[in-house]
Amino acid sequence: MNIFSLAAKNLMRRHVRTGLTVAGVAIAIAVLFSLLSFNAGYERQLGGELNSLGIHMLAVPKGCPYEAASLIIHGGVIPKYLSYSDLEQVQEIDGIEVASPMLLHQFFKDDKPHIVYGINIEEQKALKPWWKVEGRYFKDDETGVMIVGRSLADKENLKVGQVLDFGPDKVPTTIVGILERTGNQDDEFHFLPLGAAQRIFGKEGQLTTIAIRVKDLSNISDISKKLEQIPDIQVVTMTQVMGTIMNLVGSAQALLFSVIIIALFISAVGIINTLIMSVNERTREFGMMKAVGASGWDVSRLIVVETLIITLAGCAVGLLVALVGSKLVESFVRGVIPYSPGGELISIDPLLILVCIGFALAIGLLCSVYPAVKCARLTPMEAMRSDLE
Amino acid sequence: MNDVIIAARGLAKSYSRGSEQVHALKAVDLSINRGEFVSIVGPSGSGKSTLLHLLGLLETPSSGSISLEGRETAGLKERDLVKARRGSVGFVFQQFLLLPTLTVQENIELPLLFSRKPVEQDRIAGIMEMLELSHRARHLPHQLSGGEMQRVSIGRALVNEPRIIMADEPTGNLDTATSEKIYGLFKKLNNGGLSLIVVTHNMELAGRSDRMVRLRDGQILSN
Repeated sequence: MNIFSLAAKNLMRRHVRTGLTVAGVAIAIAVLFSLLSFNAGYERQLGGELNSLGIHMLAVPKGCPYEAASLIIHGGVIPKYLSYSDLEQVQEIDGIEVASPMLLHQFFKDDKPHIVYGINIEEQKALKPWWKVEGRYFKDDETGVMIVGRSLADKENLKVGQVLDFGPDKVPTTIVGILERTGNQDDEFHFLPLGAAQRIFGKEGQLTTIAIRVKDLSNISDISKKLEQIPDIQVVTMTQVMGTIMNLVGSAQALLFSVIIIALFISAVGIINTLIMSVNERTREFGMMKAVGASGWDVSRLIVVETLIITLAGCAVGLLVALVGSKLVESFVRGVIPYSPGGELISIDPLLILVCIGFALAIGLLCSVYPAVKCARLTPMEAMRSDLE
Repeated sequence: MNDVIIAARGLAKSYSRGSEQVHALKAVDLSINRGEFVSIVGPSGSGKSTLLHLLGLLETPSSGSISLEGRETAGLKERDLVKARRGSVGFVFQQFLLLPTLTVQENIELPLLFSRKPVEQDRIAGIMEMLELSHRARHLPHQLSGGEMQRVSIGRALVNEPRIIMADEPTGNLDTATSEKIYGLFKKLNNGGLSLIVVTHNMELAGRSDRMVRLRDGQILSN
């Protein structure tokens, strides 16, 4: 017999109460771990996604807020357009490797939004060299052809060679290629030759944005200034887009963190309550222990060990639940934040596991201080006669 | 003087009960010799248990002094009081106060956990055999009779090899036959050289001790 087995046996005496307290700690730790993991994973994925766009900046119509840039990235539509003369001015600026015009259009099918990108395929391939296609790419001057993202193809059961009636005039359009999975938003889109897309959706001569890749990243600031001298154009760099998204997400995270702090506080109060009840009920026992040779420190140690067993067991269960349930948490979080990148949002980091264990230890020690000190100070007979308050 | 194992001088204990000041013990002088079996008797509220608890260093007196095995205990720090209790005194309580999740053997071994002494299985087995508990070693307290529980409590008091056993109404919850058996056990321990101080209401059993101390209203009537 040692202090740990004695503590464990004491806890098992009231196994329902112990179980509920462990569950309380587990919930708090699971939520804490999920949120910390999400926070780390989200930033990593967002950064990765913006890099994978292969675009350094976007030229958008003036007056368009930064949020529009994030809308463009994942297929939102803004009601302002650039012209081909804007494109020509952009292409004249030194230091730009690729300036690729794009038209975005959104339509609804079965109440679900669908996004269409009108693109110049060779420029897009230069911007996104990782693109691979099942079937073939279209040519820029082709009509009645498109390629689709892999997730979209899977969801809609689309096959290469299939013909869809596309746009308001139901133009028969053949799927000539399906993109291999990219892990970003491209997996969800329809891609058409720019000219064809403009005709189908009645936007001849109109561009939603110009995606720009520069030759040398150190010149990005100078190029951005030159672009902004073009009267109709406003420039948004990817760093600004990321900042805007992180700001939007930040407010949602602040709310989630507030909920976590409240959950942890309630959990801590619950543990303290359980401990005080448990210590109160056993005050006579502690008195007996002192009478047969236990010191105040021995009794305190027993109380602290019992608390740590509860909090560490709760921590282990909580981490297990968080690891197993990370997919559920991810889908929940995706539902409450304004923008979420593709890929795995929950990042399992050993350091975060250590943080959670440290947190559980801290809660355990904090919660056991009051009953431990109180009980240690009583004389054996005070303990045997009285209840702690 | 060398024969005295514990001595109290002018021992008093007062405490508050609401607005009332209760004088549980009033300037008691008492000496117990090494190897002596002393019963403390008296009506309820006479201060018997208070005297025993003070002698056993379970609480601090309001005034007076206690000398345990020649060492003055007044002013000792908590750490030294714990050492004195561990080394010299074994306690037996009316309510047994066994830990319900520990077996008979574990309950007996419990004080060794606190005194950081190794568990010597042969010695524990010897104690259980003397107490006729060997066949109950792995039983839990709720599986025992009252007499058996009190014998476990006595085993727990003996495990640290004290020089004096203090028992507070050890037969208060037991029937006559079991009480006889417990007293017989005390007598056996006393014959082995152990000092005993037993608080009891049972005058017949008290009559079997070497000396009877009568208390009334916190004072010694006869000694």
